[in-house]
Amino acid sequence: MTSQPRAFFAVDLGSATTAAAVLGHVGGRLRLIAHTAAPASVDLDSMLIGLLAQVGRIDPEMFEELCAGDPPDIPTLVATWPRVVARTTPQRRIAVLAGSRRQRRRLEAAALRAGWLVVGGSADEDDPVALSRMVLSIETNAVLLGADHSPAGDEKRHLPDLAALVAAAAQSRPELTVVLAGGAAGYESVFAALADARSRHQPIVSSGVESGAGAFEAEPMAAESWEKAQTKLASPRTETDGEAATDEAVIDGEPPEETVAEPSDSQGPAADSLDAGQPEAEPRDAEETWAEVLVTVEPGAGEPVGAATERVAAADPADPATVDAQAAVALPFVAAEASPVFPHVLLAPDAEAGQPAGASLQQVLEGLRAFPNDSRLGVARSIASLAYVLDRSIETVEIGLQGGLWSRSEPFGEGHFTVVSSHACLADASFAPANPSEEAIDSVIAWSTAVLDRHKAMDRLNDLRLTPWGEADGEGAVFRVTAAKAAFARLIAAEPEMAANPMPELLIAAGGVFASAPPSVVALAMADLVRRHGVCHIAADGARLFGPLGVIEDESERRRLMANLADDILMPLGSLILPAGVRQGRSAGHMRLKGASSAAEIELHAGVIQVVDLPPGRAARADLDFRDAVRLGNRARHFSVDVGGGLGGLLVDLRDIPMRISDRPESRRAALEAWQRGMWPEVDE
Amino acid sequence: MSAVKPPAGREISPELARVAGRRVLVFSPTIRFRLGPGDRALVEPGDSVVPGMPIAERTPDAELIDVGRLDTPNGMPRKPAKGPSAADDKSLEPLWKEDRVEAAAASAMTRPPMAVRATPGSAPIRQDRRRAPVPGKWWVGGAERREKLSKGKPAVRVGGTLLFETHGRWRAAAGERHQIVESPVAGVVRDARNAVEVTIEVAGAAMPGAIAAGEPSRGYLDVPRLTDGELWASALDVGRAGAVVVAGSRISAQAISRARAMSIRGLIAGSVGEGELRDLEASELRQKASLAPSVPFGLIALDGHGRRPIATPILALLAAMAGREVAIVTDPPLLVFDVAEVPLPELPPDWIRVRSGVHAGREGRWLESAGFYRFRGGIHLDAAVVRFFDETDTTVIPVSDLERFVF
Repeated sequence: MTSQPRAFFAVDLGSATTAAAVLGHVGGRLRLIAHTAAPASVDLDSMLIGLLAQVGRIDPEMFEELCAGDPPDIPTLVATWPRVVARTTPQRRIAVLAGSRRQRRRLEAAALRAGWLVVGGSADEDDPVALSRMVLSIETNAVLLGADHSPAGDEKRHLPDLAALVAAAAQSRPELTVVLAGGAAGYESVFAALADARSRHQPIVSSGVESGAGAFEAEPMAAESWEKAQTKLASPRTETDGEAATDEAVIDGEPPEETVAEPSDSQGPAADSLDAGQPEAEPRDAEETWAEVLVTVEPGAGEPVGAATERVAAADPADPATVDAQAAVALPFVAAEASPVFPHVLLAPDAEAGQPAGASLQQVLEGLRAFPNDSRLGVARSIASLAYVLDRSIETVEIGLQGGLWSRSEPFGEGHFTVVSSHACLADASFAPANPSEEAIDSVIAWSTAVLDRHKAMDRLNDLRLTPWGEADGEGAVFRVTAAKAAFARLIAAEPEMAANPMPELLIAAGGVFASAPPSVVALAMADLVRRHGVCHIAADGARLFGPLGVIEDESERRRLMANLADDILMPLGSLILPAGVRQGRSAGHMRLKGASSAAEIELHAGVIQVVDLPPGRAARADLDFRDAVRLGNRARHFSVDVGGGLGGLLVDLRDIPMRISDRPESRRAALEAWQRGMWPEVDE
Repeated sequence: MSAVKPPAGREISPELARVAGRRVLVFSPTIRFRLGPGDRALVEPGDSVVPGMPIAERTPDAELIDVGRLDTPNGMPRKPAKGPSAADDKSLEPLWKEDRVEAAAASAMTRPPMAVRATPGSAPIRQDRRRAPVPGKWWVGGAERREKLSKGKPAVRVGGTLLFETHGRWRAAAGERHQIVESPVAGVVRDARNAVEVTIEVAGAAMPGAIAAGEPSRGYLDVPRLTDGELWASALDVGRAGAVVVAGSRISAQAISRARAMSIRGLIAGSVGEGELRDLEASELRQKASLAPSVPFGLIALDGHGRRPIATPILALLAAMAGREVAIVTDPPLLVFDVAEVPLPELPPDWIRVRSGVHAGREGRWLESAGFYRFRGGIHLDAAVVRFFDETDTTVIPVSDLERFVF
């Protein structure tokens, strides 16, 4: 390495899609240079090489500027430039146990919002054998035993038995993480004997194959972590910007240490066994984390302070030269590392703590589930930073293979120096959920424009999960959008409190499922599901940068990057005008659209969505005169709003709020198809 | 060509490398048998198993049993478990800690070795009884053991695993009926935990599938003649009893019912629908509930749910293995060949198959990359020019719809 590069890679390792971008200093500020996305099976280094080669071909001068001199060969650049890496945490399952059904539902709600797959049972409803079956199932990664802060009689009498049941199960499965929430924390001493049992449990390594529990674990577990039996107290920490983190105080045992996943030669056969169920190219599992080398750069004279997470796919991680080369450069900020800590017994607040109720427990469970550089949580953090930078209320919907995220951030208070954020991360909001429930199938059928019976819908969803990039064109693309809408609908149904918020000023669609769909269709999907009156801009995270930028730990640094990149990373889809209370059956009124150089007058029709061509980068003022009073923020007949252009244009949605479509399948499909054809004429090709 | 170990990958062009590789064979995979409360492992880590050897005993109708107090190995009643009170007073430990006590405790926590060919009720149980009661320990008892013997009724013996202890009394998940799980494969036991799982590292090679259902089973591989890639259900007759039959592109519900009735051990197909899987699951539950369970039956779909013919290289491999013993494993979905040497078909390195989309199932050769291409619906995707083996014209296909075979 001869000089400090002026660029770095931002990589989002999703379950279905790998997205990579080059960010560099051009013209005095950080810019998005290029980005690409490919199925997760494609080798990352070859993607980056192709991306840099394109940059070099298209603009050699800028490429030289990024390299701060004569560019070396591209593979060397790929090996040496720093990377900010975010990755999707695989789905994990938690068993929720409580003394009463009431308590179980509260705990389940918090666990679901934290992104866990949840199975639950309560002592007043379920047999101890059934509860043990949930906890002992090898698919269960953690157990949440909870009670009120001061348990009432209905659950208090069951708690000793439940604590004994969970402790016994944890003795049989030392890899299990136990969370004691609320009043259940008083039974911590029941788990004290587990420390010895856990320290005895060691994965058996023979002939290069890791067996035991670890053989099927999705997460890397350093052997040392088994020996550090510890109980932690987790409590939420609220920051001024609305961000929250888990503050852990060690009660018993060693303080948490960083565990670094060392490259291991023994993973080959194990990977064979794990991948055996799927072709090589199928969605990436977390065992690839073993191939990750974490390079920590110590602060030194003349060197930027920080740590970089480097993923080396093709390079030999055991080669010191490779590692040294990667360590030679670093990012000017600290990125979260993929080194999850697995506490054995975690004490957590009860399901009512926090604002809104359950938020504190949600944070604890989220921290337990996700990688420190989890992409989905990174999106939520980035949105909070962006809301501060743009001084706007922002909502983001991110739909992926392992789940979905709905995040809202808005500046608050005097001077708007505080950002209030909330988010829900649901595993069930995957566009292709594993073992889809009847409700998930119903939601897909409800949004489908094609004739689907239940079995066919389930077959297509399961195939979509097996090959997320399969049949991405034609009917497959239509089904993909349908599945994404259904996933978003499940998010909305699960989070009525968030759905009750006012229309945000900016609505962002993120996630791989929206990446390949036409922009106008994505805009329509947003309009179909965000049924709140108001005016908003719609954009997409085209380069999938919110995840990687969200792993930057320093909030001020993240805001600085967002301020530089906001214009580059937001792909404008258009504006949405969504009035409520438009009377059906006759002309709704008129709209005059005045741009810088043109003006147009459009008649508004109730019950339809009208699209006005307004290209990206163009702003206009829309004067709306309704025949009757409608709600568009306020209740009035005349409105004047500023709108921005986008790839989908200006959408004036005069359909009902909430959306009313016929319950008859044929009529419903016809209505959905008519709206879709208006926005997606190519679908009939 | 044959494989006794994973062959080194052949050099392919960077464009072709973007096509997803489908691994046709995996070597020494680890398979899992899930257990639940009341189930016990009959093997130990490190044990070698051969096909047909009992590896676990299930208790299908496990219910909660109040076992009562259980004696520790030295004959003294075990101290009741304490509730949520203060932690142990460490300062008192030196007063009663003795070497022999520690040694006894250590030996009690170490599981005694069990005979590999154990049968229920024999030596392992007697050895197990000498251990201190711990969660997951096998327990056998009856009404008289719990001092609840009622006159005039025959004593009912139940067996299962201990669940947990509260107030000095143990609870168990136990039942009267038990089923032996036999290993369908040869290999080495890697993990065996009562009520949790048994994992085995398979000796030999296996072919990964996309979906598996039913139970792990074993039989000789039967590759009948397929008509347009399909097998008529009427071809599944009693003459194929004991076979694992290659059933073509898709398995129908009728074929599954007929195969089970004819004591066929398993079906292999390109795809299977969710409806058929649900029918099979319901049938399995009915079968388990009956007092006379039938032979294990498993099915494996190699590609997914949408109808696709079995890939020709895979069909060629199956044909080469016809007549030999194979096993269907459900977790993960695998077709296991116990033999270490598997004959591999010769394939050109640019041979590709369409795995999804309108051309799903067709095979041909990769010609060149087509860059970003506009497909139906106005979707732009990375594309490739391919020539299907039964056509002279070329076709442009999204790269994400293609797969290449990796042996």
